[in-house]
Amino acid sequence: MAEKTYLQAISDGLREEMRRDQRVFILGEDVGVYGGAFKVTLGFQEEFGPWRVLDMPLSETAIMGGATGAAMMGMRPVAEMQFADFVSCAWDHLVTIAAKQRWRAGTPVPIVLRLPSGGGFSGGPFHSQNPESSFAHIPGLKCVCPATPEDAKGLITAAIEDPNPVLFFEHKHLYRRIKGEVPDERYVTPIGKARIHTEGDDLTVVTWGAMVYTAEEAAKVVDASVEIIDLRTIMPWDTQAVLDSVRKTSKVLVLHEDTRTGGFGGEIAATIAEEAFEDLDAPVKRLAAPDCPVPFSPVLEKAYIPQVDDVVRALKELISY
Amino acid sequence: MSIARVAEPSGSLQEVKEWGLDREDLLQIFRNMLITRGVEERGHILYRQGKIPGSFYTGRGNEASSVGVAMAMGTDDVGTPLHRDMGVHITRGVEPWRIFAQYMGRADGPAHGKDGNVHMADMNLGLVAMVSHLPAMLPVAVGCALAFRIREEKRVAVAWSGEGAMQRGDAHEGMNFAAVRQLPVVFICDNNQWAYSTPTHLEYAVEHLADRAAAYGFEGVVVDGTDVLAVYREAKRAIEKARDGGGPTLIENQTLRMEGHAVHDDAFYVPKELFERWAERDPIERYRTWLQTNAELTDDEEDEISGYVKKLLNDSLQRADESPQPDPETLLDGVYATPEDLDTPHHK
Amino acid sequence: MATGTAVDVVMPQMGVSVSEGTVTKWNKQVGDTIEADETLLEISTDKVDTEVPSPASGVVSEILVQEGETVNVGTVLARIGGETGAAAPAAEPPAAEPEPEPTHEAPEPLAQPAAPVAQENGKSFVSPVVARIASEHGIDPSQVPGTGSGGRVTKKDIQAFIDSGAPAAPAAPAPAAAPAQAQPAQTPAGEPQLGESFEPMSAMRRGIADHMRKSLDTSAHVTSAIEVDMSRVVAIRAKLKKEYESAYGVNPTYLAFIARATVETLRDYPYVNGEIRSDKIVTKSFVNLGFAVELADGKGLIVPVVRNAETLNLLGMAKGIADIAKRARDKQLTPDDVSGGSFTITNPGGYGTFHGTPVISQPQAAILGTYAIVKRPWVITDDNGADAIAIRSIMNLTLTYDHRLVDGALAGRFLRDLRERLQTWGESDY
Repeated sequence: MAEKTYLQAISDGLREEMRRDQRVFILGEDVGVYGGAFKVTLGFQEEFGPWRVLDMPLSETAIMGGATGAAMMGMRPVAEMQFADFVSCAWDHLVTIAAKQRWRAGTPVPIVLRLPSGGGFSGGPFHSQNPESSFAHIPGLKCVCPATPEDAKGLITAAIEDPNPVLFFEHKHLYRRIKGEVPDERYVTPIGKARIHTEGDDLTVVTWGAMVYTAEEAAKVVDASVEIIDLRTIMPWDTQAVLDSVRKTSKVLVLHEDTRTGGFGGEIAATIAEEAFEDLDAPVKRLAAPDCPVPFSPVLEKAYIPQVDDVVRALKELISY
Repeated sequence: MSIARVAEPSGSLQEVKEWGLDREDLLQIFRNMLITRGVEERGHILYRQGKIPGSFYTGRGNEASSVGVAMAMGTDDVGTPLHRDMGVHITRGVEPWRIFAQYMGRADGPAHGKDGNVHMADMNLGLVAMVSHLPAMLPVAVGCALAFRIREEKRVAVAWSGEGAMQRGDAHEGMNFAAVRQLPVVFICDNNQWAYSTPTHLEYAVEHLADRAAAYGFEGVVVDGTDVLAVYREAKRAIEKARDGGGPTLIENQTLRMEGHAVHDDAFYVPKELFERWAERDPIERYRTWLQTNAELTDDEEDEISGYVKKLLNDSLQRADESPQPDPETLLDGVYATPEDLDTPHHK
Repeated sequence: MATGTAVDVVMPQMGVSVSEGTVTKWNKQVGDTIEADETLLEISTDKVDTEVPSPASGVVSEILVQEGETVNVGTVLARIGGETGAAAPAAEPPAAEPEPEPTHEAPEPLAQPAAPVAQENGKSFVSPVVARIASEHGIDPSQVPGTGSGGRVTKKDIQAFIDSGAPAAPAAPAPAAAPAQAQPAQTPAGEPQLGESFEPMSAMRRGIADHMRKSLDTSAHVTSAIEVDMSRVVAIRAKLKKEYESAYGVNPTYLAFIARATVETLRDYPYVNGEIRSDKIVTKSFVNLGFAVELADGKGLIVPVVRNAETLNLLGMAKGIADIAKRARDKQLTPDDVSGGSFTITNPGGYGTFHGTPVISQPQAAILGTYAIVKRPWVITDDNGADAIAIRSIMNLTLTYDHRLVDGALAGRFLRDLRERLQTWGESDY
């Protein structure tokens, strides 16, 4: 066990898998000599060489398509979009080929796509997005969003092991801000299983990523016992854990940093309403960013990303319903 | 094996006059380059003082390439400059105070706080705001040229990219289409040798990116990007050629990115000698020397110009600082356009 | 020259993911003068080492973070006090948190649920989970005190109500009585004596206990009985049974016949279908007929109600009874199903008993008890006026009534008329 930052946990998990399995290799922009834009792969090229840590040209198509083809031929690529926002450039290969090849042609595409996502530091519209719902919507893709260092390492390991395309959304704002105990040995955090971040009886908050910590802060302030569920995986998501919690508390807030309309919270809310209708003591509430691009100016960004106060307000409304 | 033509360096005052630049123009170029650099240097300081949120990018070393091309554009021409092309905004008439306000995310920046860095543009000045997915702008510029072609207007679009951005499919698809239809667009590639930490030999395999123009069916030119008058000359030629229906040109302006990818990057991966060598070819210093030698730039004139620039920047900074923070109530404004938004010169 | 306010020097954010920085070197000390933009200190971050220019001209008035210390982005490192510089007006460091809290609300949730809860009487809105719990325990939610928005009964409220020993649905509390949360005053049971064993009272059992006690305390319970010759009904039923079952899928039970006759008779005796409410006598133009149903495993009683029974013919009555019986067995009764009754029929004779004195379901005025139909030797008078003994199917009926409202004579006449209807049931009567 050691205390590590979220970033370090990802880096260590990656490095261990690369040492363990020669088929694992990394491709992305500035991942080699520079060590990655955020330094996740610092020292990797020195250890593994320039053919296992590839500094790619500025071409998301080459990265995504390249990873897909290599995976079909037995490699286990870990591709990186420098910012999750650039995944729009890689859409075609991800959605058209990687997602569908197993289903329609029997060919698995075991790739991991690392996506530094999330905002909160004036990154602006193109460096701050949380695009997980777009990809949760595409059958054939898996999407994970760890919030803790321990889960970050366990899930990167799981993602590499998984024979499907796994999108690994690492929240940039957590990279160096969050530290936690991380086991030294190799372990796999199961994809598709949520984690109870805090237990409670009065209210359930379903969330993931950086919002887990926002929820945690808000829960401290309100006069109620709040259960916070960290989904960890968006696709496939742990419906059982959520429904069990909703049956216990009968009041639920779905919270995410992505925009509201079409955000994955809608899927969760609909499922709860369908499956746990008779257990609800209040309407299912959602709190998310408003339907506009991520603003740059700090004043606007604060009005955009759900803040602790916003969550407190939502919790209080639920409590008093 | 080089295919593209390599441009000659800038010549004498007489030659320059033949391309349509008088002395006042030459001084204006100088002023613009100084303002460009001054704005970015000030911004760099502001960033390290914690006054500019997010990240901060400069185009240090690219002043000639950007100002030179912009000076060659016509009033009604349009362009899609990128983050190393502050000189284009300055030359086209964007006021420095608005740029500072933009950097600081204030309400009076062209993006009103919604986007930062150089992600701004004044459509009235014919500039289209860039995105972070840089190569995506290239087909958009081609689209502008398409409109001009359809309406048979004598207007030209100028598309900027770096050598990194040239490696995405967008660049190829945009250039191919422009060539097929002989559209009035000029492609400017700012080749500053480093895409973040990626050197050119990991980025592309041809000798010159301008060589690729032949693959699409049009002319490519390699230019010393630190020679503002050479840049101007080649840009002017290409722009007028496009205006006259001669189709696209790819101009590769060669420079060195003199700072890191952004202020938070100290560019440890760039060999020091490279910085030293290119520092000797600093575009502003080169041009200053040329002006002194060929245009009889006097000390008084220089002092007047530098004094003007300094005052302009100080006043601009003060004015920008007084600009208010954007109102959170405006967050959702403009997600959708209204018919009034179509009331621009471009929609006539 | 005015003295300006002190200007903060903050730890800048050198890149998107950087959250802290270390002061490596102060180029000035407290008391030194500095120009705007002159390098004040040097810092080191995960991304890059750099110099921090001073935001203002003046004298360094405070240094708050020492060399070697690591602090979060936005932390005030030092202050420049004194005259403001010409070049750099003091600007708020955006990385710190001085911005006024934006008044913008968090994205509003989608339209709040339908108005019920916002109304004055929040009790009219019952959430799904409260409805389910209420139905499982036979509780009328409108009797539960609500602490939710608008007086709504919340899940916690109904759980607390159950835990504290609430009466089951039939026990609409007597008008003058306190709200339904009864805490039976009792001495503690102590420990089981030799030969004794304890078991806890279920919520339903406690509810029943409470209801029975309250009802007896409220109404003046008197019972009158009558014997009814059900032979005609038996014969007609035998004829109808096959037809009803094949055509309508329903069994015309004796109860349906009795219920039908009862409803007709109640028309003429409104007090028997009435109620004392405070100081008023309430009579009704409708009959909401309750049927006492025993729950499985002796768990208790529930009294579902067939509303507007006066509009039903025999077939309708049979169907209505079958429906509520099924729903009672399947635990699908809603609070509406177990409230609002005006008269109740119960069957204490299910096991062969011939007499009983049921307890009235408050706030009703009477309850009809039916008993076993037994073949008995009976004296009949034939058409010639001669007496003979015949075997007849005889059933007792009791009317237990509240003598505050219904006098014995009235009760007697009611039973007489009811008997008449049953004994002279016409083949074409429905």
